[in-house]
Amino acid sequence: MTAGAPSNLGPTGTGTATARLPQILPRTARRRRVPLGNFKRAIFMAAVLLLSVLFIYPFLWLISASLKPKTDVFDNRLIPNEFAWNYDDLLDIAPVATWFMNSVWIGVVGALLTTLSSALVAFAFAYFRFPGRNLLFGLVLATMMLPGAVTMIPSYLIWNELGLVNTQYPLWVPNLFGSAFYIFLLRQFFMAIPRDLFEAARIDGDNYLTMFWRIAMPLAKPALIVTFVFEIQAKWFDLMTPLIYLRDAALFTLPLGLKTVLDQFGTGGGGQADWQIIMAGTVVTVVPMIIIFAFFQRAFLEGIATQGRKG
Amino acid sequence: MSGRVRKGAPALVVAALSVVVVASIASAKPAAEPASEAGAAQQRTLNIYGYGPGDDVAQTRTAHNQRVVGPNVEIENPRGGFNTQAFLAMLASGSVPDVMWVSRGLIGSLAARGALQPLTSCIRKERVNLKQYRGAALREVTYKNRVYALPAFTNQITIVVNDDVARQSGVNPNRFNTTSWRKLRQWNKKMLRVEGGRVTRIGFDPKIPEFFPLWVKWFGAELISRDGLKAKLNSRQAIAALSYTYSLIQDHGGWDRFKAFRDTHNWFGRNNPIVADQIGATPFESFIYNVLANNSPNEELTARFFTNRRGGPITLFAGNGWAIPRGAKDPDLACKWMKADTSVEAWVAAARNRLNLRRRQGEAFTGLYTANKRADVKVFEDIYQPLGKRQFDDAVKLLVRAADFGFALPPSPGSDEFRQAYIDAVNRVLTGRQSPRQALNQAQREAQAAINRNRR
Amino acid sequence: MRSRGWLSGFRKPETWFAYGFIFPWLFGFIALTAGPMVASFYFSLTNYSVEQIAGLEKTSYVGAKNYRQLLEDEKITLALENTFIYTVMMVPATIIVALTLAMILLRVGRAGDFFRTVFYLPQITPPVAVGILLLVLFNGQQGIVNRGLELIGIPGPFWTTDPEWIKPSLVIMSVWAVGGTMVIYLAALRGVPQQLYEAAAMDGAPAWRRFKDVTLPMISPSLFFTFIILTIAGLNTFTEVYTAYFGTGSAGAESPEAALMYAIYLFRQAFEFFNMGYASAMAWLLFVIVMTVTLVQIVVSRRFVFYQGSARE
Repeated sequence: MTAGAPSNLGPTGTGTATARLPQILPRTARRRRVPLGNFKRAIFMAAVLLLSVLFIYPFLWLISASLKPKTDVFDNRLIPNEFAWNYDDLLDIAPVATWFMNSVWIGVVGALLTTLSSALVAFAFAYFRFPGRNLLFGLVLATMMLPGAVTMIPSYLIWNELGLVNTQYPLWVPNLFGSAFYIFLLRQFFMAIPRDLFEAARIDGDNYLTMFWRIAMPLAKPALIVTFVFEIQAKWFDLMTPLIYLRDAALFTLPLGLKTVLDQFGTGGGGQADWQIIMAGTVVTVVPMIIIFAFFQRAFLEGIATQGRKG
Repeated sequence: MSGRVRKGAPALVVAALSVVVVASIASAKPAAEPASEAGAAQQRTLNIYGYGPGDDVAQTRTAHNQRVVGPNVEIENPRGGFNTQAFLAMLASGSVPDVMWVSRGLIGSLAARGALQPLTSCIRKERVNLKQYRGAALREVTYKNRVYALPAFTNQITIVVNDDVARQSGVNPNRFNTTSWRKLRQWNKKMLRVEGGRVTRIGFDPKIPEFFPLWVKWFGAELISRDGLKAKLNSRQAIAALSYTYSLIQDHGGWDRFKAFRDTHNWFGRNNPIVADQIGATPFESFIYNVLANNSPNEELTARFFTNRRGGPITLFAGNGWAIPRGAKDPDLACKWMKADTSVEAWVAAARNRLNLRRRQGEAFTGLYTANKRADVKVFEDIYQPLGKRQFDDAVKLLVRAADFGFALPPSPGSDEFRQAYIDAVNRVLTGRQSPRQALNQAQREAQAAINRNRR
Repeated sequence: MRSRGWLSGFRKPETWFAYGFIFPWLFGFIALTAGPMVASFYFSLTNYSVEQIAGLEKTSYVGAKNYRQLLEDEKITLALENTFIYTVMMVPATIIVALTLAMILLRVGRAGDFFRTVFYLPQITPPVAVGILLLVLFNGQQGIVNRGLELIGIPGPFWTTDPEWIKPSLVIMSVWAVGGTMVIYLAALRGVPQQLYEAAAMDGAPAWRRFKDVTLPMISPSLFFTFIILTIAGLNTFTEVYTAYFGTGSAGAESPEAALMYAIYLFRQAFEFFNMGYASAMAWLLFVIVMTVTLVQIVVSRRFVFYQGSARE
């Protein structure tokens, strides 16, 4: 894609494109109807269906494994030979409901905070030109590049100094400060918003913050929802942070809880791991994320201009 | 959208965010305290790490230990196994547990770096009888002549022979052993089956790299000196052991297909490799008989010793143990705990309870295999009930005896790196990238460098 | 920005607002991130290990010793090679597959909701399950992948046990969890003004030209973003590979050298071999490599990325 980039992408081309945009933007980018013949369309849909088998298979495998007795978990069959309701065992041996609620609360709070703070920071990098901008943005990117393994213990010591080890604060407070990945992501989306929109808003008397809130945020809504969903997932599946910071089982998140279940019946005690229970736990972990995605996925696609601007 | 926001709004947002941070942190402080308020007068607390809550055997022992240390000791036994990162974080913050349940393979590295307390005074004060423990398991946790942990399980390795496969192939399961490598290779070739370039049955699985030390021990040789300071990975015997075991795998047509086939084996299922005749014979840890007795109780198999070149039994130990980290607040209590947990009484109680439990579930109990000699004997004599199945009752008898012939790699200051060095070497040979000699020479360099770097 | 302009910039109120907006990040960076980063660099010049962590011994300065050791360590070369090969395969594959799926999804009409969720599923399958699945699905003898290949007459390789095929199977596995990248493209594609397509169609541009001249430039900020992010992620790749081949209890616990990624080797040095000082030096070497690669990417892609909002540039 890079080799044959069209020449109209150069500085001259940019000017003309932006000049035309303000007029055309308020119209919705509707779902494109592709004029395919019925036959062609049937083939196309069949191919998509076939493709989707590749993507749905692991999930079906997981559900199936969670419904098998201990002896059959890895038997590779999609339809269990014999069914076993492992979910009851899971609830019996561990406070799964508590862990689930902890995960929900940390995920939601963390994702909301990260979305807000990252958007604020990203907007600054996208809109303002200020001394130190490139250097600071470089720093933002740099924080993504150093492997976490070597900063883990110094970070732990900071939280320890604050007396917050074995609390849930280290799991979500960092989200107040934005996260490099999302700052970068949102910056890209903010930069795609025609600048004229902001200039017009300025003339209408908006200050920077109202402009951020009323122009930038609505226009970047798909990206904001992407951020929210990505972060809730990242929190939801994170094992390392809870593992380091939490000791009390009452504070555990779902992945950490499930890990301790695995430890409990692991081979260390001279037994075999109860994978059927772990599989049930994994399904319990995955399903809420599917629901969240299914719920939000339409919003990912809301046309950039559906909000219009002002009034 | 609502009306106008004042000019100073960004500053306001920032201020609000900071307030949230400060407030949440301030409000958090008290939450961390209450533990210390509870009448600290007589109550002692024992902080355990890596043990809780465990399976029935662990839980029975915990209850037993609580009775031994007394009711005024509060036992903090948080959920979850030992994790190095979490432990290092605890070390860094200075709040370490009193006692921890950790793999014996880690003891060398941790002890050499001063993270563990030697148990010398513990053993003296509590009069821990070291003679009750199996010597090999104890040596696994003895670094520079000081004991750093009390050993628990042993997981001894014996050979499981699939009677059906052996008989069909003209191999006598009751004579199966590893004494003669020439014969073993013949048996391997007789029992294995390759169809159309695919392995459909493994003859004899040498289980390398994991059991590589066992094959070197066949010569009576060691991979590392007793003091754990000199690697001996490229000895003549080690090279011969690797070449030989590699040839057993090559007989199947190569590592890639051998391993791909082995990866499909489901030892924990009802249609396990013994039932499915996917394997002739293989060394395995002790727990496998328990699994097989429950999943395929009528399948004919024979348990045999892994033997050295002179025909004597040998077996490799592995398992967890109890250790006290440097900086533990109550090492005396920790000592009482680990003594109680590895005592004959604790193991007998655990075995009795497991037997009852298994009976209620209609499952088989095939004994406990621990580093405590006396406990094993007592469990076998007083608690274990023959299953009435020849193959498993014989297996249990063999397991009890096998433990007397155990060995383990002595701890070294670079235990994990040492282990990794020979595992990588074996893999390089298996994948055809190096000859056994080249691979082990490289491993020797890597392992010795790691030991030298870490010896104190 | 020249130095005089730099200082005078602070006279503009805009600058102060900008700093106000980035304050949350700046505060977090200074309070939580900068310290540990500097600390890790300091550790890379010391013998930092368990006894220093525990405060039993003083941390002593060893100069460039750890960095010199990097040059001698054969595994470093091996791990870097593995990681580069993996990244070079994974990044373009992910971008192409994600973009293709996103384009397909725009055309499936009313069933879009369903297919979007389905294509996203692997992304929300936990790494532990992905690791196990990798070994199950790609098994050379019974895996569904090879059975599928057999149907069309191709004898499948021993993906998980032949060192030549381990990395390709890892790439396929990570391309399969392409949902995140796909979603970013979806969001970007929906932001492309319909009018541009209409204008291009009026000019008589064929579909391929419309894609090349309208779609690609208009979503280039997202392409750029994913290009950078995937590269950073690829060079830091850890979790799935670790669970499949290195974690305890994984079927592939033999830890094949063909799967030894740099971040995995780093992790082992830090938490299995306890050479924290050395691991820190490894981390900073990786940091410099990733930084260099990213800078090159930024410079090279600059002329291909088009921001509607950058008129003031």
